[in-house]
Amino acid sequence: MHEPSLNRRGLLKVGLLGGALLAGGGLLSRTLSASADGAASRFFVLRDSDLPMLRRLTPLLLEGSTAPSDMPQVVQTTLVSLDLGLHHLSPALLSQVRQLFDVLSLPLTRGPLSGIWSGWEVASDDQIRAFLQRWQNSSLALLRQGHASLLQMILMAWYASPAAWAHCGYPGPPKV
Amino acid sequence: MPVPDLFAAGLARGWTTYDGSRLEDDLTLEADVAIVGSGAGGATSAEVLSAAGYKVLLIEEGPLRTSSDFDMQEARAYRSLYQEAIGRTSKDGAITILQGRAVGGTTLVNWTSSFRTPPQTLQHWASEHGVSGLSVEALQPWFERIEQRLGIAPWAVPPNANNAVLQRGCESLGQHWAVIPRNVRGCWNLGYCGMGCPTNAKQSMLVTSIPALLDKGGALLYLARAERLLMQGEQVVGLDCLGMDDRCVEPNGQRIRVVARHYILAGGGINTPALLLRSQAPDPHQRVGKRTFLHLTNFSAAQFDERIDAFSGAPQSIYSDHFQWRDGIAGPAGYKLEVPPIHPALAATLLGDFGPENAQRMAELPHTHAMIALQRDGFHPDSAEGTVELRSDGSPVLDYRMTDYAWNGVRRAFLSMAEIQFAAGARAVLPLHADAHYVRTPRAARELIEGLDLALYRTRLGSAHVMGGCAMGDDPRQAVTDSLGRHHQLANLSIHDGSLFPTSIGANPQLSIYALCAKLATELGDRLQKS
Ligand SMILES: Cc1cc2nc3c(=O)[nH]c(=O)nc-3n(C[C@H](O)[C@H](O)[C@H](O)COP(=O)(O)OP(=O)(O)OC[C@H]3O[C@@H](n4cnc5c(N)ncnc54)[C@H](O)[C@@H]3O)c2cc1C
Ligand code: SF4
Repeated sequence: MHEPSLNRRGLLKVGLLGGALLAGGGLLSRTLSASADGAASRFFVLRDSDLPMLRRLTPLLLEGSTAPSDMPQVVQTTLVSLDLGLHHLSPALLSQVRQLFDVLSLPLTRGPLSGIWSGWEVASDDQIRAFLQRWQNSSLALLRQGHASLLQMILMAWYASPAAWAHCGYPGPPKV
Repeated sequence: MPVPDLFAAGLARGWTTYDGSRLEDDLTLEADVAIVGSGAGGATSAEVLSAAGYKVLLIEEGPLRTSSDFDMQEARAYRSLYQEAIGRTSKDGAITILQGRAVGGTTLVNWTSSFRTPPQTLQHWASEHGVSGLSVEALQPWFERIEQRLGIAPWAVPPNANNAVLQRGCESLGQHWAVIPRNVRGCWNLGYCGMGCPTNAKQSMLVTSIPALLDKGGALLYLARAERLLMQGEQVVGLDCLGMDDRCVEPNGQRIRVVARHYILAGGGINTPALLLRSQAPDPHQRVGKRTFLHLTNFSAAQFDERIDAFSGAPQSIYSDHFQWRDGIAGPAGYKLEVPPIHPALAATLLGDFGPENAQRMAELPHTHAMIALQRDGFHPDSAEGTVELRSDGSPVLDYRMTDYAWNGVRRAFLSMAEIQFAAGARAVLPLHADAHYVRTPRAARELIEGLDLALYRTRLGSAHVMGGCAMGDDPRQAVTDSLGRHHQLANLSIHDGSLFPTSIGANPQLSIYALCAKLATELGDRLQKS
């Protein structure tokens, strides 16, 4: 079930949708995109539609770097840090990130492309891991790129935060 | 005692600066020489030309940040001091490209390694790329002058543990290693050069050539992007700049028109070709943006029993050129071996994987060593190379195409690095590749590396040295400028930055850029006097 793209018609559909959406500017992305939405409250850039995906993905990517009881706070810290970083990206890069988030969040593309058919809130950890695996090994370069950038963005956002440093034995900058 | 902020003191003395994010109205600025980009090439040229008596205007897209702003926090440094808030990559997203974007350019965030241009490289340019007048002898006085100006000397303090691994490993294998000369005065050995030096010890352009320019009455315009050259026949007649918002993300609607006798482009690799492309400057042989090189870099991590603390201490003090020229100038890809500083945010993205595996690797950060191999791209016909393109909004992106030749270099570099790390006493080594894991013996490392699927995205690739894209050379069919940095088609336009190089350097490029640009700017000053 978590590899629907293995059947040929699925793959074709994914290819077309993925191409149109990720490569940007297609009619599809303009009519379906959520990027016209404003930012969610207390964020500069992240939109309400991005949050369910990020709130499920982030704890999975950061599992083991913090006590489970602290995870909700860690996720919040990470998203605030991610948001601030995105707020400084060039417009061209930011629109690529938004398209990536859209593809993962909009129901029409989320299911076929990520295998998360029933929505992020109810997806199991295994389904999310399968999605990551599938993108990492996808035949579509855009999905492999999407996988790499998701991991890098989120890991970087967390470990740039002082709250992350105890785990990695980093004393923080010296006093000058 | 707090470190005195030299730049703030100069501003208080009345230096002439314009903040493009705070203009109330459009502005027109006039100068003898207008220079785009305040990094290695631009600021060096600005100092030379203002000392020769010219009225110089230095234009910088990025913000003005000075020592009191440098709090050694990765997130703040990356988003404010790096191109595209450190999001810049190759067009396919597979290679992270680090470049500076602030007053002082990349010199503000670089790691202070200072090498003369290798003689092999200069000879290759003369014989293969029609570069004249840049022999070892011709450049020698310029290297000496810059070395004095910027306090460049081999690092006299013992290397930090991260660098000591490279030294120890090479020593035990009988491979070449040497101490790196650094451009510092009174360095505190902190290790935060990549986030802006908080002590003003690093002799970046922010504390050397730019103050010299401003002391001579020159002017600095920052948070202003040079958007387009205006041309009439063979002359540049103006330069349109856009004021940027204070995050340096989008133009704020204010325009600055710059008019000068002579114009110098020094925006660095990728950005200088982009300005020419946006301006639709004459390019009859389609050379602009071609042959852009990266010193493409791959990484090897290793765990040691003892602490390495690769986030602490002068970031680069030991290098090895054992594999650099060994197979001839145009044999299989040569590479230089060095170490990078490792702070948590960058480490987390480099070490790979996610969840418990990534967390485990991160937990070992204090015991983790990292090494880098920098490919000498551009010498062999099968070398990888990049082409600068414009996105629909006019911003540049580099299409860098890997080749089998380049991947072969990456694989051999993985092998070399693992061997050195084990020879230095590593308990486990991890080539930074999605399919790799820590292995505990040299033999297991060899087997792992030989079996790796070296593909984009699976292999961690980066670059901190963008070079080329506006090659110099006497043949206009091959080059954008002549060997004096003069644009082949536009009479009052020069290029003075790393984009001039016809190949990569085969050593960290800053000193090559300083010395070359000091020479070109001095000669330009002489020519302007006569005309
Ligand atoms: C993390 C890091 C570490 C490094 N470490 C070393 C090292 O140890 N040793 C070494 O030799 N080299 C090192 N380098 C590389 C070296 O610093 C650069 O190669 C060198 O500074 C490039 O000089 P440049 O004059 O070509 O351009 P830069 O120094 O990059 O300056 C170009 C400036 O022009 C500005 N600009 C560009 N386009 C425009 C425009 N259209 N309008 C206005 N302004 C514009 C940019 O914002 C930038 O500030 C490092 C680089 C990085 C990123
Ligand atoms: S190591 Fe030296 S040059 Fe680098 S940031 Fe620290 S004090 Fe400055």
